[in-house]
Amino acid sequence: MADQDRDAFMARLARTKVNRRSFLAAAGLIGGGAALAACTGSTGGTQAPASAEPSAAPSTVASAAESTAPTAAASYAIEDELWMLNWSGYVDPGNMEAFKAEYGVKNFQYDIFANNEELLAKLAGGATGYDMSCPTAEFIPQMAEQGYIQKLDFSRIPNFQYIDKAVLSQKWDPNNEYHVPKDFGTTGILYRSKIVKEPITSWKEFYDLSTGKYSGKVVLVDSLGDVLAMPLKMLGFSINTIDQGELAQAQKLLTDLAPHILALDSDTYQDKLASEEAVLCLGWTGPLLALRQDPKTADTKYVVPSEGTMFWLDTWVMMADAPHPNATYAWFDYVERPAVQAKETEYTGYGTPNLEAKKLLSPDLLNDPSIFPPEDVMKNLEGADPTVTDNADRIAVWTAFKSSIGG
Amino acid sequence: MATALTPTPARTGGGRAKSALLTGALLLPASIWYLFLLVLPMGFVVAFSFGEKARNGGYTPAFTLDNYGQVMKGADPFLESLKLATAGTFLTLLVALPLAYFLATRAGSRKGLFVLLLVIPFWTSFLIRTYSWLIVLGRGNLGGFIGGLLGDPNFRLLGTPGAILLGLVYGYLPLMIFPLYVTLERMDRSLIEASKDLGAGRWATFRQITLPIALPGLVTGSILVFIPMMGEYVIPQILGYGRTFLIGNALVLDFLEARNWPLGSAKAVVLIATMLITISVYVWFVNRGRQARGVGVLGARPP
Repeated sequence: MADQDRDAFMARLARTKVNRRSFLAAAGLIGGGAALAACTGSTGGTQAPASAEPSAAPSTVASAAESTAPTAAASYAIEDELWMLNWSGYVDPGNMEAFKAEYGVKNFQYDIFANNEELLAKLAGGATGYDMSCPTAEFIPQMAEQGYIQKLDFSRIPNFQYIDKAVLSQKWDPNNEYHVPKDFGTTGILYRSKIVKEPITSWKEFYDLSTGKYSGKVVLVDSLGDVLAMPLKMLGFSINTIDQGELAQAQKLLTDLAPHILALDSDTYQDKLASEEAVLCLGWTGPLLALRQDPKTADTKYVVPSEGTMFWLDTWVMMADAPHPNATYAWFDYVERPAVQAKETEYTGYGTPNLEAKKLLSPDLLNDPSIFPPEDVMKNLEGADPTVTDNADRIAVWTAFKSSIGG
Repeated sequence: MATALTPTPARTGGGRAKSALLTGALLLPASIWYLFLLVLPMGFVVAFSFGEKARNGGYTPAFTLDNYGQVMKGADPFLESLKLATAGTFLTLLVALPLAYFLATRAGSRKGLFVLLLVIPFWTSFLIRTYSWLIVLGRGNLGGFIGGLLGDPNFRLLGTPGAILLGLVYGYLPLMIFPLYVTLERMDRSLIEASKDLGAGRWATFRQITLPIALPGLVTGSILVFIPMMGEYVIPQILGYGRTFLIGNALVLDFLEARNWPLGSAKAVVLIATMLITISVYVWFVNRGRQARGVGVLGARPP
């Protein structure tokens, strides 16, 4: 029994790509190394050899690129290094290797951050030497305002044409100047349909079951914006409200829910679902594929609540002082090649806005409403507003909720 | 951190300048380290705590006491952390003292082996060791087993204060054992024999001889354990299922989610002050009467 459990646990660990928003896992297990890497990045220590290389190298590289990739990048000398600051496990290593081989990039550095705030903190702390990063879209305005990122020349990213117009021209980048959309996802309800027989389609049903029949078997991710979306949408308000009256109503719902919560956990909630210690969960789609692949947890379902919920879009941006802009453009264009992007989607398990890449996906993935929600669900989704994420009244609601769980 | 009773170094006279140079050389690396990595950042924290939150989060210079006012309004996380750290320190001591005593006095030639066994787990990452308790205490193992004995299918160990305490004791045990072990090992065994010859029982000997001798190690160990426990964030988050809102959680929330560095800094300053006061009271309590005899612990002056 014990051995089986341990094996299942290890197998799950091995199979689950590190959750994109996994704070502890990323910060602790990998973060130490990344922090060190970031330090070397900022001192530029590892970049010194690049300038020592003979300048003949890039030209041969460029001609190689010309022959294999008939894209606009050809006329530019591709540098032989590329520095990326990204969420952990968020790019297919196979694609990175293929890119290195095709463009003659010798050092493709992958450093990580655990959440958007950490990314901002690193940049504020003077982390330079990076070419590109992947913030969530709502962080673009302030990164632009603070001069961390530069406007893109889209003539150098021809494959940008494949991006779904529906995700463009949003409030975070109204004139589409700064970003190439990477992938998107939602905040929703995960549940074990083997145990929870009641159909769940809405936050209301989730809430009633959580405070009723499945009390004590409910996990919420430890994230303000995502958790607050539930009561606000139940009440019919915007997830971005800063109205004190609306927030007070949401707080009432959360206070009543608090005693029924098993855990606030963004890192191992999939394990609690797997062990059936929790049967209901407010979370993300990240661990869904791994749970479904295991026969013991194949009954796990994900629902995008009918009242609407939070929608997030992660983006590629170029740093203002990118030392290797040509290689960066080459990568942006490369990663949006339909075949390459399809591999990315298979790897991360998050929805791609690249319409041509979608055609290449396996039907399983493409027809999965949890990854690509249908049109009528999509229209209820709402992106986070960056100006309210740190609003004092919202923080107060969240703090009160966290302290009332007790235990 | 000085552990033991420091005797005055005997001056041999002569070479005063040379000795001053040597003292300087010895202190230089540590001074630079402390200045740039402790004093200076601490100065930033204190300065930030009087500032205001910038528009995009972070810090903007100002002079206001609002942050401290806000800290005082929400003292709960401090009290939670204080309770947890106190209980954790006490439990760690209960486990460590007998073990250190055994190692120092009874382990004989296997002493080295036992010490090695104590250290080996610490070659593994702290996070991995904490995560592995999830398996041990989980429903498939210990938690389910005890639940079975009790006949309660909903019984669980994880997500309870007990699980947090266990994690704390496990995580910080060596920090308590080693100072105790070092002081006990240097103990003159003839003192115990003398005590017994004079008719004292085991308990009286322990209370009047062993414990006072072990006290410097005990104080050092307690402080080494108490300080990180006050700021503990990871163990309650993993083994406690994030159900307790401690000062560590509050700091993470302020700095990362709220991006309110000044408020977070004010909390950090209050946390440091709380610890300084707690530890001062503790050291004073331990030292009652001892100072006069010149056998005080930590910063005792020779008579």
